[in-house]
Amino acid sequence: MLAEPLRFADIRRTSAFRLTAMLGATFAAGIVLLTGTIYLLTARELTDRSDRILADLAGRMLAVAPQALPARVQLETERAGSGLNYYGLLGSDGEPVAGMLRMPSSLRYDQPADIEDAGHGIGPIRLLAKRTDRGETLLVGRDITQIRDLRVRMLGILVWSGVAIAIGVGATAIGLSLGPLRRVRDLQAASRAIAEGHLERRMPLAGRNDELDQFADTVNAMVEDVGRTIAQVKGVTDAIAHDLRTPLTRVRANLHRIAQDDALAPDHRARLTQAVDDLDTVLERFAALLRISELEAGSRRAGFAAVDLGAIAASVADLYEPLAEDSGITLSLDCDPLPLHGDEKLLFEAVSNLVDNAIKFGRAGGHVRITTGGDAARWHLDVADDGPGIAADEREAVLRRFHRGSNAASAPGSGLGLSVVSAILGAHGLRLDLRDAQPGLIARITPAE
Amino acid sequence: MSVSDAYARVMPRILVIEDDIGTAREIAAELAGHGHDVTIARDGATGLDRATREGFDAITLDRMLPAVDGLEVVRILRERRITTPVLMISALSDVDERIAGLRAGGDDYLIKPFAPNEMAMRVEVLIRRHHDRADTMLLRAGDIELDLVRRTVHVAGEAVRLLHMEFRLLEFLMRNRGEVVSRRIIFEQVWGYYFDPGANLINVHIARLRKKLDRPGAPSAIQTIKGEGYRLDAG
Repeated sequence: MLAEPLRFADIRRTSAFRLTAMLGATFAAGIVLLTGTIYLLTARELTDRSDRILADLAGRMLAVAPQALPARVQLETERAGSGLNYYGLLGSDGEPVAGMLRMPSSLRYDQPADIEDAGHGIGPIRLLAKRTDRGETLLVGRDITQIRDLRVRMLGILVWSGVAIAIGVGATAIGLSLGPLRRVRDLQAASRAIAEGHLERRMPLAGRNDELDQFADTVNAMVEDVGRTIAQVKGVTDAIAHDLRTPLTRVRANLHRIAQDDALAPDHRARLTQAVDDLDTVLERFAALLRISELEAGSRRAGFAAVDLGAIAASVADLYEPLAEDSGITLSLDCDPLPLHGDEKLLFEAVSNLVDNAIKFGRAGGHVRITTGGDAARWHLDVADDGPGIAADEREAVLRRFHRGSNAASAPGSGLGLSVVSAILGAHGLRLDLRDAQPGLIARITPAE
Repeated sequence: MSVSDAYARVMPRILVIEDDIGTAREIAAELAGHGHDVTIARDGATGLDRATREGFDAITLDRMLPAVDGLEVVRILRERRITTPVLMISALSDVDERIAGLRAGGDDYLIKPFAPNEMAMRVEVLIRRHHDRADTMLLRAGDIELDLVRRTVHVAGEAVRLLHMEFRLLEFLMRNRGEVVSRRIIFEQVWGYYFDPGANLINVHIARLRKKLDRPGAPSAIQTIKGEGYRLDAG
């Protein structure tokens, strides 16, 4: 069986992936909360400190004599240069008296605020406005670039750690999902094979005794039990068939020998011949039953080689053409080469059986067609008749052992023909499908999966 | 004197290598009934020894024997360049087993349980095939003449056109002329398949051949033997 490729959609649906992703998301949220809290607390602390410093600087300035204040402001401004602190003094009319700072319209007195552009290329700063006793406005500012840098850095940390966490969590989630998903795939493949009748198959165990192993173990025990029961039933059937064949063959030989006696009355001979014919039917059924068991045991590879099912179908058509003609049926063949690895004689037998059935159950004066179709991967070989066909609800049943279609009563046969065909095809990884030909029946050989 | 005349004159000697005495007696009785001189060997070593020292016309060989098994016996026989035809008889009906038997050097393979007359028929087919001289290029039966080189058939001097399988069917019947061959043996030997295709299939092939060979008013060269098979009259 071909392994289906693992798609992301399948991986995304696994519990391992979902749990890991959920855990990852929670972890990421925690990181955001933590980093955000650190940033907020640090930023507030830094701002508070700036405000205290501003209040202190303003207090010192206001303590200077009012007449000396402009000169002091100018002095401090020059001293500070492009440093941390900035000063400004505005007259009561709002016109600048000293320093570089101007009063932004959004600023309220005694309420420090962050100002992005305080003029003369200064900013961002924390700015405090105080009114002097003379009605002038004293402006004291402090550079807050550090706090802004901290914010940018914190955001950067958040974004990059977020990306790293997403990649890490994604990779871990996929990594953690792949193992279980592969195992589930293996379990699915095994269960499909078991459902198709390969009762010797077992669910694979990883040896970790985890929940999947425990599940597989339970299923294996169940399959073991079912297999044993089926083997017992089949064993009994096979044993009966096998053990009865020898005595029945002797009985047949004796009856046949007696029937050859010239002194025998004609009606006695006719009855003996009938008995021999009946025994032949029984022996034929036993032989078919045992063959099916052998085929299903499935160890036959000695006769396997490269064969062409199309060519085999052509040989079958050659063999059956006289029989078809004798039954007033036209047999036609339109087959492309179908290269396979298989047993030529067994495949010949399978196709023969289908053609024989088509002639037997086809319409007198009708048509039996052997054709191929499909592509290299999903090819099919059809044997189609235009007879009464088989009712839809009976099609599955005729593939079972001993079942004969309701219109088969008058035709000779063991009732095991299609079972033998199924067993042969099964041994080759092929399957038999019965379809409606409207009118008639199509027996279709296709690759099993 | 033809080869088949020489064969008919002497009682063919058959070696039956079989450990089960019941089966051995059954085989011996059937072959004796067909006019053969039968010797029984109860194990592989004895069978091998007698088959090597005495000239038998055919051997029936059980596939499963104690000590030296059937496959080994036939392999050693062929190694010793003893070409006596061997009919392998086995309870193992698996196709793989048949292939193994024929590869080891067996000439035919019969599955237990078998109809004794079917077994005898097979032994006789083997003996005739073995006695047929390899350089026989012209087969004759009555007024039928089959040329294996030119691949032509003449009935009473008149050319008859046969299809490939019809030719092979007639060749097989002619090589076994005067003897009954079952439908199963015909199917195996002419077509080379080992399943039962049903009586009708072989019947229609024989009917087609008859239509081409038979002359109006004259009895058919191929006789149907009810419950057994067909026989081509030796003429």
